[in-house]
This record gives sequence, structure tokens and C-alpha cells, in this order.
Amino acid sequence: MSDDIVIQTRALSKVYRDFWGRQKVRALKPLDMEIHRGEVFGLLGPNGSGKTTTIKLILGLLFPTEGEAIVFGKRSTDVSKNERIGYLPEESYLYRFLNAEETLDFYGRLFDMPAATRSERVDSLIKMVGLDKARKRQLQEYSKGMTRRIGLAQALINDPELILLDEPTSGLDPIGTREMKDMILRLKGEGKTVVMCSHLLADVQDVCDRIAILHQGELKELGRVDTLLTVADVTQIRARNLTPECQNEIREVISRNHGELMEMDNPSTTLEELFLSIVRDSEARPGRRANVEPVTSDT
Amino acid sequence: MVLEQDILPYFQWLWSGSADSLGALPRFLLVSLGVGLLGLLVGYSIAAARHGLLRGGDIVYRTISNGVREIFETSPRRVLALAGLAMKEAWRRRVVVALIVFFIILVFASWFLKKNHQDPAKLYISFVLTATTYLVLGIALLLSAFSLPHDFKTKTIYTIVTKPVRLGEIVLGRILGFTAVGTILLAIMGVCSYVFVNRSLDHTHTVEQSSLKNVSDADGAVIGKDGRTSLNSYHRHEVELDTDGQGVALNNYGHTHRVVKSGGKEVTLGADGIMNARVPQWGKLTFLDRQGVPKARGINVGSEWTYRSFVDGATQATAIWTFKNISPALNSEAQGGLPIGLIVRVFRTHKGIIGKPITGSIQVRNPETGLTSELIPFAAMDAKIDERAIPRKLTGTDNSELDLYKDLVSSNGELEIRVQCLERGQYFGFAQPDMYIRMRDASPIVNYFKVCLSIWVQMVIVISIGVAGSTLLSGPVAMLFTVSFIVLGFFRPFFVGVAQGTEYGGGPVESFYRLITQMNVISNLEDNLLTRLIQGVDWVYKTFMLSLAQVLPDFSSLSTVDFAAYGFNVPADLVWQDLTMCLAYVLGMSIVGYFLFRTREVAR
Ligand SMILES: Nc1ncnc2c1ncn2[C@@H]1O[C@H](COP(=O)(O)OP(=O)(O)OP(=O)(O)O)[C@@H](O)[C@H]1O
Ligand SMILES: [Mg+2]
Repeated sequence: MSDDIVIQTRALSKVYRDFWGRQKVRALKPLDMEIHRGEVFGLLGPNGSGKTTTIKLILGLLFPTEGEAIVFGKRSTDVSKNERIGYLPEESYLYRFLNAEETLDFYGRLFDMPAATRSERVDSLIKMVGLDKARKRQLQEYSKGMTRRIGLAQALINDPELILLDEPTSGLDPIGTREMKDMILRLKGEGKTVVMCSHLLADVQDVCDRIAILHQGELKELGRVDTLLTVADVTQIRARNLTPECQNEIREVISRNHGELMEMDNPSTTLEELFLSIVRDSEARPGRRANVEPVTSDT
Repeated sequence: MVLEQDILPYFQWLWSGSADSLGALPRFLLVSLGVGLLGLLVGYSIAAARHGLLRGGDIVYRTISNGVREIFETSPRRVLALAGLAMKEAWRRRVVVALIVFFIILVFASWFLKKNHQDPAKLYISFVLTATTYLVLGIALLLSAFSLPHDFKTKTIYTIVTKPVRLGEIVLGRILGFTAVGTILLAIMGVCSYVFVNRSLDHTHTVEQSSLKNVSDADGAVIGKDGRTSLNSYHRHEVELDTDGQGVALNNYGHTHRVVKSGGKEVTLGADGIMNARVPQWGKLTFLDRQGVPKARGINVGSEWTYRSFVDGATQATAIWTFKNISPALNSEAQGGLPIGLIVRVFRTHKGIIGKPITGSIQVRNPETGLTSELIPFAAMDAKIDERAIPRKLTGTDNSELDLYKDLVSSNGELEIRVQCLERGQYFGFAQPDMYIRMRDASPIVNYFKVCLSIWVQMVIVISIGVAGSTLLSGPVAMLFTVSFIVLGFFRPFFVGVAQGTEYGGGPVESFYRLITQMNVISNLEDNLLTRLIQGVDWVYKTFMLSLAQVLPDFSSLSTVDFAAYGFNVPADLVWQDLTMCLAYVLGMSIVGYFLFRTREVAR
């Protein structure tokens, strides 16, 4: 497998069973995808569509029912891959009796790094997530957003190459959301791979290179954000210095006139439009990969 | 003190064991093998049922090979970080409450424990140390059983297992962290109870001037005074003083005093020997029956507990201890004689003369030449330690003068001490540890430390079991699991007895059947289909119990509180055995815990 591929899933699927082995939920139907080094990958889908399940399977927190997930060329159950991974869970599950410094110091000790580097990193991360004033306070006194921030710092303590963010912006204030986006782009700039799931589609549209859309555990769409959002059968023309007559006849004569053609391409829709159309389509015709053909203007 | 099993020398215990048991190391390996195979079987069955035969096999293989690899990847740095976390967590869970409870117990002890007991030190030490044991084991149980399940419940475990942490490190870190917390608590409790016992029992007396009488030697010259002390702490002592008024207050209530002259009056200093660490050298016990025929045991006077057996009075029945390596160097402190201790259990078939103790006799014999000393009579004090010295100069049965070491010790250093009961119809009961040669005392404070160490060992074992169980079970269930381990461990000999069928009444189902049909435990079951079925089911039960017994820690023999209470030194062999056992449990339980953890999906 190529060195460029960070995560690969092969027919990865998950069925949640109860204690007696009876099937409860098919949370993920066989999923094949690859995530490349240096890209920001977005996992989208309605609530309960299997995003968190996918991330947990990639991390080895869950065992796949079928198939497997390969991370850095290793099976997801191999802990040594974790040296290079940072993970921000859905909610920050941290020890409430530790303060910010102790938390980061503790997680830092789980990695092989010199004490000096560790304390340096603890310090800079606390500053980065804006918790400098609260660094000595126990986490149980933290607000939701503050917990989120310390959770993020915890995920970055080992300077990971692959960062998995499960709804990174939930609970953050507008400034925090903005900072989160900037940070993701900065990490991308440093050549790191980011996998995130989020419900804030505008943000995903801003930062993600590629996205996958899941619905009821099924992959409905996977591709580059720019191609996905391009409407194929619509041509968009921006022109200057057209006479009113030309404007009237524009459909037939544009090339014969003296107008200067400034731009001619397909317009893009918003991610929100795409998302809603896929979900609607999937609900109307379940069990099919929704949108093999590109988005059309009438959807 | 009761010592039901011989304490084997450490290496014998480790390698070869005794006549009826395997050495500890081979047994450990065997049990590990058994547990390993069983785990493999169960693991494969479950995996095969879930994922099919082939994939199941693959999963089992990968789990094991990963496990073996991860053992070598264990990092002390991560283990210590996790241990530190466990300590902080314990602190957060207010383990200090245990100390408060402990101090309340001490306060109650000082109110309610009687000082007019025959041996108040025994009462105090055993109470305080038993309380410490239960308290420490209780904390160990609560900390270890609830910690990991709590992490699963709050999902904090997600952020741990997504770091390069090996699951074994989580288990080991927990064990270490809680052990550290427990050690601190135990150290505080140990020091406090030591001070408490010594301070509570310390006291002084003054010498009663009116009781003093001159003692003169053969020429009539006054060489000192005899008398008694005042009554303090419910007792008084006989005193022996020299002409300067210095001397000793003789042993009573388990201790002595030194007497000095202060302000013109003779007063005692504080009590000596509240805590003792006698170092006994035990011999081998055999018997002669009433006709003088050698027997391995004496007779049974009808008690179910077969620890002691009895000799009948005024017959030839004799208890004979053979001691090895006897030389004057054994106890250089005791001048002149061979100090021995004797515990006699008196069984009376008639009252005798009320208030008068039963008399017995001690004889010393050379097992080689057969030279025997004249009877040394003694008054048997039931179940109390009678400490005396066998004098250097003895008279033989033929009225010859005998020297203890020259004439009565054989050329290979052996010596026989024979004890008989002299009154018809009365019986003396003995077990092997009931007679010992008292060597130089060890330091009581070191001995106290060793006893605390044995509590520590029990604590670590409980923590290991609790943590291992909690990797798979929820908190309350893990606690029940550990508690059943502890309870069965405390009654291990009985449990094994039932499993081997040496206890009356049969296995669990049979005894239940006897219970509901009100049948006594001795009479045979009638032979029919039902009873055969019962015994068949019992056979399965017993096999299961016997296998379970192999991994049960024997808590009753791990506890050395009795040594401190009765004032005996804990033998070094025993300390090493306990520590080795502890290590074995930590090792075994970490591995069991690792694999249980491994089979668990963290994010369920
Ligand atoms: N531990 C579990 N046991 C049983 N079913 C589960 C469990 N965890 C998740 N599920 C089910 O699996 C499906 C996918 O859940 P998942 O958490 O992956 O969704 P999600 O896409 O992350 O949703 P959200 O946007 O709400 O976070 C859901 O139907 C959910 O009910
Ligand atoms: Mg989710």
C-alpha cells in the first residue's frame, strides 16, 4: 500500500449487538475508502448515521464486525499506531479531578518525549487553546467550551500526524469556531492529515478537501468538495460591455458579438444543498449509492 | 500460638514443597498452564461462535501474539504515569476517611479493651492489627474494583487507550498506584497502632515498702530483698532487689519492669516486653501410648479439631520432642540453662482439687545413650505459655550428676524432651509447636514491621484481583467477585476439604439434600437414582471447586497477626514466601487482567 495513504478501510462494517449476541443496530455498512496524507477529510451525515462509529473503528475503540481498518499500514487494533494519532472525542472525556496543566502533563507522559519538550508543549498548547487563565483550575469547574478546548489540546499533545476530530466545534463560541477552523488549516499547512465530522456544513465546506456523506451507516457520497459542489449542466457566464440588444439575444449570439467573455464555467451549489439532496434522495430510494451522476440544477 | 502447617525453608517451599504438596514454583507454572489453556479454550469458543471457526482462530492467534509482544513493549514511564493518576484518583475518592475510621476505632479500643486481661498485650495487638487488616483490605477492595469501571462509565478510558498505552500498563499502573496509596495508609496505621499499644499498656509501679523482706545467703549475710509492687493497671509483680535497691519486677501479665531507686523510694521504670519477638526453634513431636509403645499421635479426647492430640495422666503416655542442633551457643543471653517454652492444653475428666493446677513432668533424655534426667515437675497452666530454663546441672534417674550439654545432648546435637501428665484421669494435649527452645529474641519493632508487611501482602493481592476483575466486570460485580475471592481465601482449608471430600456431608448438592431431608452428615445416603444424580452433580462441582482452590490465596495463613499477638518472631522464611506469593499474584493477575481487557470492546 502506498505511503501516501494514511487510513484505508476495507469493507469495514459494524453491527452493535447486545449481551446475548443479538443484533441491535447496523451502524456501518461495508465501507471502502482511503484518506491521503495531508488532506482534510470530512465525514458528514445526519445524527446516528455512523460517523462516530467509523472513527471509533479506525481508532480500534470498537472491533469491526467485518472487514478492517488500516492506519499507517497497521491494523486498527495495534496500539503502536497511536504514537502518531491525536483524537478529540465527541465529548471531552477527561479526568475531572485534574487541572489543565496536570491533564496535559499526564497525557504527555504517555508518549515518548523528553520532560523538557513535554512541559514546553503543555505550556504552548494551553496558551493556544486560550486557557492560560484557567490552567490551575480543576476540569470539573470548566464550562463546556473550555472542556472542549482542553480536549483539543490533549489531542495535540504528541504533535500527531493524523488528527481525528469528532465534532470539533460543538460547544465552541463563534471565536472558538473560527480559531478551530484556522487551526485545522494550519495543521493542513504543516502537512498533517485531519479527519473530522461536523454538522456545520459551511465550516466543512471551508476547510475540507474531501468529504464522505453517510446515511444510515451507508456511504452515499465521496469526493472532492470542489467537484461535488459543481453543477454540471449549468453554464455561468459573466460578461461586460454588452449592449442592451446583445443582452436580449444573449442566448443565441454571445460568441458573434463584440462582448468580452470574462468567465464561463459551472456554478457551484452550497454543501448544504448537496447534503440535503443526498439525504432526501437516500430516504426516497434507500439502499442505493445516491448520487452517482453529478448534481443537477433541478435538485 | 497455633501453627497448623510447618513453615518450610524458603527454597524447599519454592522448589520441592513438602511431602503432600508441590513446590510453589512448579505449582505456579502448572496453574498458569491450566489457566492459560482454559482461557484459550473459552476464548476460542467465543470467538468461533461469533466469527466462525477460521476467523475465530485468527482472532485468538492475533490476541495472543499481540499480548506476548506487548509484554515486551511495557514502558515503566507510562506505568508510572498511570500509577500517579490512580493515586490522585484514590486521593480524590477520599481514602483519608479510612484514617478517620481508624482513629475512631483506636478511641473505642482505648475505652473498651480491658487491661485486667491476663495478657493485655495480646488483646490489644490482635485487636488493633485485625482492625487494620480489615480496614486496609476494605479500602483495597473499593479502590481496585470501582476504578476501571468508573473510567469506562465516564468514557475517560477512550482518551487513554487511544494513546500508545498497552492495556497491561493500565492494569499494572492501577495495581501500583493503589498499592502506593494503601502503603501510605498502612504505614500511618501501623505506626499509630504501635504507639497506641505501647502507650496504652505502659505503666509504672512503686515497691510496697511493707512487703520487703531481707534475703540472706547461706552465711546469713543479707544479699538483697524480696517483696512486691503496688497494684497498678490491675496487677502487681513480685520484685527482687539487690542491697542498693535496684532489681527487677518479675514477669506478670506478660511483661517485666526494672526497679530503680528514685527519691529515696524503690520504683519501677516503664514496662518491658509488652511486645515480644520470641524466636522459637521447633522440634519434632512423637508420642508413646499408655503402654509405652511409640505412636505418631496421642489419643483423641473427642474434639473435632485434630490439631492437638492427648496423653493420659499417670500412665506411660508421653509426648516426646526431639530437637536438633543443640549447643550452648543457641541462646547466649540465657546463662546456665536451656530456655524452653511449653504450652499445655489440659483436658480434665474430673475436677480434681479445685483451684489446684494439674501437675506434669519434664524429662530430658539423650536419644543416643538413653541417659535420662530425673523428673522435673511443673504445674500445667491451661493454654498459657510456660517459659522456663532447663538447668545446666541435672540429676540422672540413677542419681548421677548430669551436665545438660555434655551428657544429654547426643554427638550429633540432638536432645529429647519428654512431657507426661502425672495425675490419673487427666489429660495433656500437645501439638508440635507447643514446645520450643527459645533462642535469642528478635527485635519486637522489626517483628511488628514484618506483621504489617504480611497485611501489605494481603492488600496487594486483593488489589491485583480487584483490578483484574474490574477490566471486564462492572464495579459492583467486580467487588462481589473480589469479595468472594477474599471470603473463600479466608476459608480455603474448609473449601479444599469439601472439594476433596474430606469434610463430612459431601459436596454442595449432597449437603443441601441432607439439610432438607434432615439427615445427619455421617449416615450413608441410600443408593438410588436421585442420590446417584446428586453425587454426579457434586462430582462436577467438586472438580470445579478443586480447580478454583488452586488459584485461591490462603488468606488465613498469610496473616501473621497471631505472631505479634502471642509475641513470636515471624520467621524470615515465611516473610519471603509471602512476598513471593504476592509477586506471583501481581504477575498472574496482570496477565489475566490484560487478556480480559483485550477481549473487551472499549467503546461499548
Ligand atoms: N454503543 C452502542 N450500542 C448500540 N448502538 C449504538 C452504540 N453506539 C452507537 N450506536 C448506534 O449506531 C448508529 C450510529 O451511531 P454513531 O454514534 O456512529 O452516529 P453519528 O453519526 O456519530 O451521530 P451523531 O451525529 O449524532 O454524533 C446509531 O444508530 C446508534 O444508535
Ligand atoms: Mg457522533
